Amino acid sequence: MELSVFDLSKHLGVTTSTIERWLRQGKLPVSLRGANIKFQVKELEMWASKHNLELKITQDPAPEIAQKPEISLSSAILNGGIYIDIPGHDTESALKESISKISAVPEEHKQGLLARLLEREAALSTGIGGGIAIPHPREQVAFLDNPVVSVCFLKNDVDYKALDHQPVSALFILLCPELKMHLKLLSSLSFCLKNQNFIQFLKDQPGEDNLVSKIDLLLKDNPLS
Amino acid sequence: MNYKLLHIFRNTPFGRETFLQSLYFCKTINAFPVVYIPQSDKFLMYFSNDAVQVDLDNSYLNAPESAKEHADDLFEKAGIKPMYYTPKNFTASTLPDISTQFDYLCCPRSVSDISSKIGLGHLGPKVRRIIKHATFPVLITSPVFKPWKSISVFFGGSKNALNALKLGLKIAMASGFKLDIYTLLENKSEKQYRELAKKEGLENAISQLSNKWHFYKKPEFETMLYDVPHNSLIVLGAYGHGVIKDILLGSKMEQIQSTIFNNLLVSGPYCSIELS
Amino acid sequence: MSFIKHWYKTFYQRVFHLDDRLLLIIAGSLAGICSGLAAVALRLSLETMLEFLHPLRHYWWAFVLPAIGAVLSSFYLEKIAREGAGHGVPEVIYSVSRYGGLLRFRSSYSRLVSSFLTISSGGSAGPEAPVVMSGSSIGSNIAKVIGLNDRQRITLVGCGTAGAIASIFNAPIAGLVFAVEVILGEWKFVSIIPIAIAAVAGAQVSQAIIPEQVLFYHHPFQVGFYDVIACLALAVFAALISVFFTKVLRQSGQLAKKSSFPLWGRAIVGGCSVGLIAMFMPVVLGEGYHFIQSMISGTFSMGILFTFMAVFAKIIATALTLGWGGSGGIFAPCLLIGSLTGIVFHKVLLLFFPEIGVATEGAYALFGMTALISGVMQAPLTGIFLIVEITGGYETILPLIVVSSISSTMSHYIEPASFYFKELIERGQFLRPGTDAKILSDLNISELIETEYTCVSENMVFREFIGIIKTSNQNFYPVTEDHTDNYKGVIHIRAIQKYALDPGIHDMIFLNQIMQSNIQTASLENDLHEVLDMMDINNMDTLPVVENDRFLGMISKTRILDLYRRELIMQTSVH
Repeated sequence: MELSVFDLSKHLGVTTSTIERWLRQGKLPVSLRGANIKFQVKELEMWASKHNLELKITQDPAPEIAQKPEISLSSAILNGGIYIDIPGHDTESALKESISKISAVPEEHKQGLLARLLEREAALSTGIGGGIAIPHPREQVAFLDNPVVSVCFLKNDVDYKALDHQPVSALFILLCPELKMHLKLLSSLSFCLKNQNFIQFLKDQPGEDNLVSKIDLLLKDNPLS
Repeated sequence: MNYKLLHIFRNTPFGRETFLQSLYFCKTINAFPVVYIPQSDKFLMYFSNDAVQVDLDNSYLNAPESAKEHADDLFEKAGIKPMYYTPKNFTASTLPDISTQFDYLCCPRSVSDISSKIGLGHLGPKVRRIIKHATFPVLITSPVFKPWKSISVFFGGSKNALNALKLGLKIAMASGFKLDIYTLLENKSEKQYRELAKKEGLENAISQLSNKWHFYKKPEFETMLYDVPHNSLIVLGAYGHGVIKDILLGSKMEQIQSTIFNNLLVSGPYCSIELS
Repeated sequence: MSFIKHWYKTFYQRVFHLDDRLLLIIAGSLAGICSGLAAVALRLSLETMLEFLHPLRHYWWAFVLPAIGAVLSSFYLEKIAREGAGHGVPEVIYSVSRYGGLLRFRSSYSRLVSSFLTISSGGSAGPEAPVVMSGSSIGSNIAKVIGLNDRQRITLVGCGTAGAIASIFNAPIAGLVFAVEVILGEWKFVSIIPIAIAAVAGAQVSQAIIPEQVLFYHHPFQVGFYDVIACLALAVFAALISVFFTKVLRQSGQLAKKSSFPLWGRAIVGGCSVGLIAMFMPVVLGEGYHFIQSMISGTFSMGILFTFMAVFAKIIATALTLGWGGSGGIFAPCLLIGSLTGIVFHKVLLLFFPEIGVATEGAYALFGMTALISGVMQAPLTGIFLIVEITGGYETILPLIVVSSISSTMSHYIEPASFYFKELIERGQFLRPGTDAKILSDLNISELIETEYTCVSENMVFREFIGIIKTSNQNFYPVTEDHTDNYKGVIHIRAIQKYALDPGIHDMIFLNQIMQSNIQTASLENDLHEVLDMMDINNMDTLPVVENDRFLGMISKTRILDLYRRELIMQTSVH
């Protein structure tokens, strides 16, 4: 394999002018001089091992961390689904009923997830006001592949110990495998929920399509996304 | 981009012509002239494989008290912010090292000889050596300041000529002047020359920037030189062969520089020119 | 033609490309031979000329001879060779450390001519520095012709130096040691082998042309226990003399520069003074090998006081010759001053302890020489090997080692920079391989600069700027003027936190109101150590690099550390 000055500079993390200087000073083995300078990888490796240097030429230059496709709030909602008429009279029962409905959560994890959600609620209520709560666990949920936002409309308003002491009528249960997505979705969600129109719109318990298109419309104005 | 041209100032009327040329060149291609007012009659330039000592003649040290003033004045008239180069390192106390980290160098046809030799056909030995080792193109000025309005590239198909072609395109891009390419058909056909340029990925640039590609048969060398407009900047590559080859074969660059009065921009064998 | 070219290319690549040691050995021996020839030529022509001028020395006007020589020599150096003067050896070290040993071709002969003019006319100087200069330049130019890289070229410079010293003293080991200890400053396997071979080649050339085997012949000395003890005192004494010598040399050069005499005027003043001193003390004339020989063989007949005065006379004469227009080296004067010092010491010793069983005067002349050479050059190994070799006196090696180490330590204690290095250290150009200064001078700002920065306009509203911050991860935002793209200032994210948290003012302020415009900037012309100083003074980790009002990028300590380390590994890895 042959490398050009530019390739080698990428591998070593220096500029091409540094490589050229090293060449001039005779610090690098080179196979072809002149205008098109070429390095033989084999020679470089031999030279590096002789000089006890680490070159890491065979690897790709500084592999970029594979970017997972950004997930939007609406697609997370599509993952999670919308559930209506959830029974329950307090935080615990409402959450328990909701979890049992959510199909994205595997059965064997439901019990554990509930405990984690309740633990989070005990620390500080996720009822952000306006009759809405965003229950989520503190640690991310590893068993999910994709982020999930399940919207659960309650049958009765529940005293959720919300921040504004209002009863809660809708839960946005937010479950993410990774913190980065979690923050992103949380930020998008709270942006939507700041909008009074949107809260009014939620009172009517809209269907999936309506909700998703409304959210997409709203998020267009979000400077953070 | 931040291109810099080094000008060695000579405080004489002849030096003024050279300096005006530098200023014009810089203004046209958006470069910055950096002036070195010599403090001693010699300096050293360390290139990657040679140390070239340039011996200046005494006229460079002429009236040192008014040199800066004159330079400032000319800078101001050209509307360019004055910039001066002060050497940092000295090989010996009267022998400063001049940096070679410039993008262009401007000099008259001869820096070290008496002014009477400034005519055609004489290119000082130091200027040659600078061209031979420099990593930057050298602007060799006409004896009298002469604004140029177009660019002519002599393209002979060699590696250096390709460099010169790139340089010409670069200058054309920066200045907005039209570019003409002149080729003397020697061993190759017209098509092969175009193929060469294409291989280097210059096809687009040529079609966008150049006006016309002129081809001449081998005996028409003199005609070709005559056809080059008088107010055109000539861009050419110097071939890096040795003295013996020069004597035996002569060189196109010699013939051109001894026949034409235009400003020459010469790229030597160590120049690497990127089009971007 | 093309066949030869092809053959040459294949041969070149097959043989030399695989291993550059062979190439270096061949080119090195060539450099050794050439510089050996140059040295022999100078030595022979000096001998001839000295003999030719010898009868003239008896005339009363002989004192102008050194002046004529000095005038011719300085005229030649300045006007014909246009060398830009200088002592020679520091220039070689400078070029080796900063420019990969690039030397001008003219240096390979100019010093030979000028020092020939100086020394043959009676100027007090040595022919060694000129042959070192010429040898190293020959090596450098051979490397240039073959197209070698810096590392190889430096080795060839060492080869030329070693060949020259080996040839002029007929001392191959001293040549090798001098080249490595003084010129290159690093002991590396790959460079020592070619240099050793070049030294052998140089010595062989000299032996082939000048058949005599040892420069200073002498009968074997009987060196006893007391001598080693006495050497301790001699070394201290000689170290003081060598520091004095170094100081006087430098002072005299500076004095000459300050004086209002023109070039030739200085040469006349210097030369005539030397000539006048020589009227009373002929020992100061020329390189003085003749007197050294007589001192070593014990036939030197000056009294104790006179010898003591001769030490200082020689010091002053050398300073006048070298500082005021002559050209030459300090090697031979060192030897002469050293042997005079040794003899003075021996005489004093016998005066106080007449019964003591010490070696002869000649042995002490040797010790004195070693002490002076080691003290002035602060190169103990060169001192030891040179004296052993030029006298063939291996039996004296024990006291020589003692003298040499003590003298160089003493003079290093008083004056930490040797004569050759002092000037370079003062200019901040003493860059030995693998040292901090060398790495900093090698790393160019343009190699360190990080250019991937988005610029923002000075007239941008803060709210818009916040939108930009959200999508990028820069810590610094260069601010530029709208039409000209000129650099105006820099916004550091940390500095604007307080505004960013206050949405009320997002539409109220423009970027030029919150940018830092008075921040220190670097430019491409700065050296790295200057940039680091700027960072320290301003207590900043990152500086914008600005040139011609254009923002070029940022330079940060993180990046500097990264590349500094790579550079250090590259420079110090065993070749």
